[in-house]
Amino acid sequence: MIEHYLSLSILLFCLGVLGVISRRNVFVVFMSIELMLNAANLGFVTVARLHQSMDGHVLALMVMAVAAAEAALALAVVILLHKHKGNLDTNIFSLLKG
Amino acid sequence: MEGNLSTLGYIPLLPLAGALVLGLMHLATCRGRRISERIYALVGCIGPILSFLLAVNVFFALQALPAQSRFLSHQAFTWFSVGELTVSMGFLADPLSVLMLLFVTFVGSLIHVYSIGYMAGDPAFGKFFSYLNLFLGSMLILVLGDGPLVMFVGWEGVGLCSYLLISYYSEDRGNVVAGNKAFIVNRIGDFGFVLGMAFLFWGIGAEGFDYLSLKANAHLLAPTLGITVCLLLFIGATGKSAQIPLYVWLPDAMAGPTPVSALIHAATMVTAGVYMVARFSFLYAQAEVAGLVVAWIGIMTALLGAIFGMFQNDIKKILAYSTVSQLGYMFAGVGVAAYSAGIFHVFTHAFFKALLFLGAGSVILALHHRQDIWQMGGLKNKLPITYWTMLVGALALAGCPPFAGFFSKDEILYSALAGGHTGIWAIGVLVAGMTAYYSFRLIFVVFHGQPRDREAYDHAHESPKVMTLPLIVLAVGALFAGFLNLPAIFGGHLQVSHWLAPSLTEVHPHGSIATEVLAIGGSVLAFVIGISIAYRRFATGGEQPVFTGFRKFAHHKFYVDELYDTVLVRPYRFLGQAVERVVEPFVTDGPVRAVAWLYRMAGLAFKVIQVGYVRVYAIYMVIGLSVMSLVLSQSLNF
Amino acid sequence: MIATYLFFGLALLSVLGALGLILFRHPMNSAMSFVVTLISLAGLYALLSAKLIFAIQLIVYAGAIMSLILFIIMFLNIQEEDLPVATGRWFFLAGGIVVMAPVAGLLLKIVKSLPGDVEPLTDAGFGGVKQVGLVLFQQWLLPFEIVSILLLVALVGAVVLAGKRG
Repeated sequence: MIEHYLSLSILLFCLGVLGVISRRNVFVVFMSIELMLNAANLGFVTVARLHQSMDGHVLALMVMAVAAAEAALALAVVILLHKHKGNLDTNIFSLLKG
Repeated sequence: MEGNLSTLGYIPLLPLAGALVLGLMHLATCRGRRISERIYALVGCIGPILSFLLAVNVFFALQALPAQSRFLSHQAFTWFSVGELTVSMGFLADPLSVLMLLFVTFVGSLIHVYSIGYMAGDPAFGKFFSYLNLFLGSMLILVLGDGPLVMFVGWEGVGLCSYLLISYYSEDRGNVVAGNKAFIVNRIGDFGFVLGMAFLFWGIGAEGFDYLSLKANAHLLAPTLGITVCLLLFIGATGKSAQIPLYVWLPDAMAGPTPVSALIHAATMVTAGVYMVARFSFLYAQAEVAGLVVAWIGIMTALLGAIFGMFQNDIKKILAYSTVSQLGYMFAGVGVAAYSAGIFHVFTHAFFKALLFLGAGSVILALHHRQDIWQMGGLKNKLPITYWTMLVGALALAGCPPFAGFFSKDEILYSALAGGHTGIWAIGVLVAGMTAYYSFRLIFVVFHGQPRDREAYDHAHESPKVMTLPLIVLAVGALFAGFLNLPAIFGGHLQVSHWLAPSLTEVHPHGSIATEVLAIGGSVLAFVIGISIAYRRFATGGEQPVFTGFRKFAHHKFYVDELYDTVLVRPYRFLGQAVERVVEPFVTDGPVRAVAWLYRMAGLAFKVIQVGYVRVYAIYMVIGLSVMSLVLSQSLNF
Repeated sequence: MIATYLFFGLALLSVLGALGLILFRHPMNSAMSFVVTLISLAGLYALLSAKLIFAIQLIVYAGAIMSLILFIIMFLNIQEEDLPVATGRWFFLAGGIVVMAPVAGLLLKIVKSLPGDVEPLTDAGFGGVKQVGLVLFQQWLLPFEIVSILLLVALVGAVVLAGKRG
């Protein structure tokens, strides 16, 4: 049973990574990251059920709080980027180019 | 054998400390604060005067000792110690060095006092005195050094100060070029000097590299090595004392202020070469061939200098060539092993040549920095003190008895004749005549006759007392110094020669009375002929002659400078340019730049990774993670 | 039995939602699929007796965060022509699958080593508010406080960023 849940968690995580790698739209990238966080949450809760301790739930709460904070800031940045460039393509932002 | 006298260390130290203080004071005024010239003058003159008083003290201390053991030394500190050789900064006071010491400090102090008047109003007054003190300190180290290495320290120091003071008026490029020329030509000579010192050390330096040890071991030196050492050291002397072939810097050095010309290029620095030969008399006495070379180069330089001096129109250039010529006499003296005669001529020459230069400075200042003698004339009445003192100086230079120059020059010529060097004697007599001619040409054209430039003549006035007093003191010296070394024929006892005897390895020639009379007669005759020719041509005034033929050739100094330029300077410069164009790109600069280029290219190659897209960086991270998990799954066993 | 069916159903829904997230072109569609994923995940939490987390997931994630994202997407008024033309998408996807395979393999291998059966719950209040609260405010007090500071920082940051002109 547990391994099913954990396999699902792994699958969702990999799908999240694939989303980050393959999509160029800023929103999709951000939501893929949220997907990865959710997969981690599922893992925490599963193992908490396995060991019958609350620590996993608490950690899942922390992760959600962090995800919320990050969502707020990331979306503020997205708005600024859109204002600046008018486009939502991650390939345009290449100031880090060496 | 030698006693210790710690005040010896203070004699060079006082002017050096003065130089430092004056230099700091000058630097402090660079931001606009002004220090009055009086303070500079006080600080600047107090060092030399105190050194002179200390020198007199050392003289009396030396006199108190018995004649054969007149050596006082002082080791200030250990300079360096390599293997078994220990060299310390030591000072030796023996008759020779004390004689030099006395007149160097005396004439030096007088010229410092004179400079207060001459350099008045100059914006870098303090800098001048700082350099002058530095020079005096270096000269004293040279004279008092107890070994060739300490002497070399002073040797280099005076060369440096000569450069600094020649290019003193550095706004004018020509002055700086002259200073460079002096330093570079000196350096060429110094190369010979260093080689000579190296060979000397190789030969007999193992047991101590100071004069007394070297003198004791001199007999161990192989003859050929001895001749080589003497000739190499003499090359250094040709540079420092302006002999053939390295005399070319001295006339150009007249670009410096006149007190500098008087002190450095007449009285003290240029005589360092003669002092060096006299110091190493124990070597030269063993290497007669070297001595002959020295004597012949000396007398030929004397001839050359006199020829040039007869056809110059600049008052300082005449005196400069005269210095070259007189230095030739001195070398002729020490070359024929008459060391005390040569040193005695150094002593008297310091007085009358410094006097002549200072007098020329007085004239130049009175006419507002004019130096062409054909723009002067009739200044006898306007500058009386200058005229009478310069007349004394010219008489001494020309060798008129009983002035000082006569006795010293005669001593040299007599030694040459008595030693069998008739050729040297004959040329010496000829040069004496020429000397009389050009020195009185100068006197008659400048001071007698009608003024050639009325306006300058009207504005001329006698120099202030601070300048004329040294002139008078030097004139007294020029008049009476000769009596210190009267030969027996005149009733004297050759006091100076006998006093110098412990320092020198000398054998006095014993010629017959006839030789002496011949020598004296020849000198007097030459003087009379020379002065009468000059009198007939210039005493009633004369116009500037137009030089043609040989005279023009001599006026242009036989084009020696141009010869050096074409044969030596230009090829060397060409070589330098060739190195810059060929060697640098391929041998030194090129490979270094290639290595740098290589690193840059490698960096550029690696730069490709940084594309700037965050997505690609995320991909890099995932790839890394993937590789890591591959590795881990291999190694983990579940 | 029901639990197993529920599990597979909810799992399928979440996977479909995730696939939709990464495959749809318009971000609005992706967002909606993501909401489906979140809700099914909430159901999975409930299956695992994580009552509080189930509720919080629905309220915070599906409710607050996703509505914020949807709002921003609608705010920016993305038209069809604004969307980037992603030509190399499938190539990146294929490459990503290749690269992620070892990672997934390793993780699955680790997971397989865990015991498969779960014991029945001894604690009735497992996963409830009281239980989570007790652990949160006793063992996890310091992280709790720090998370509150983190939220404050995020708040200030959002205000600052929003205030930027141009």
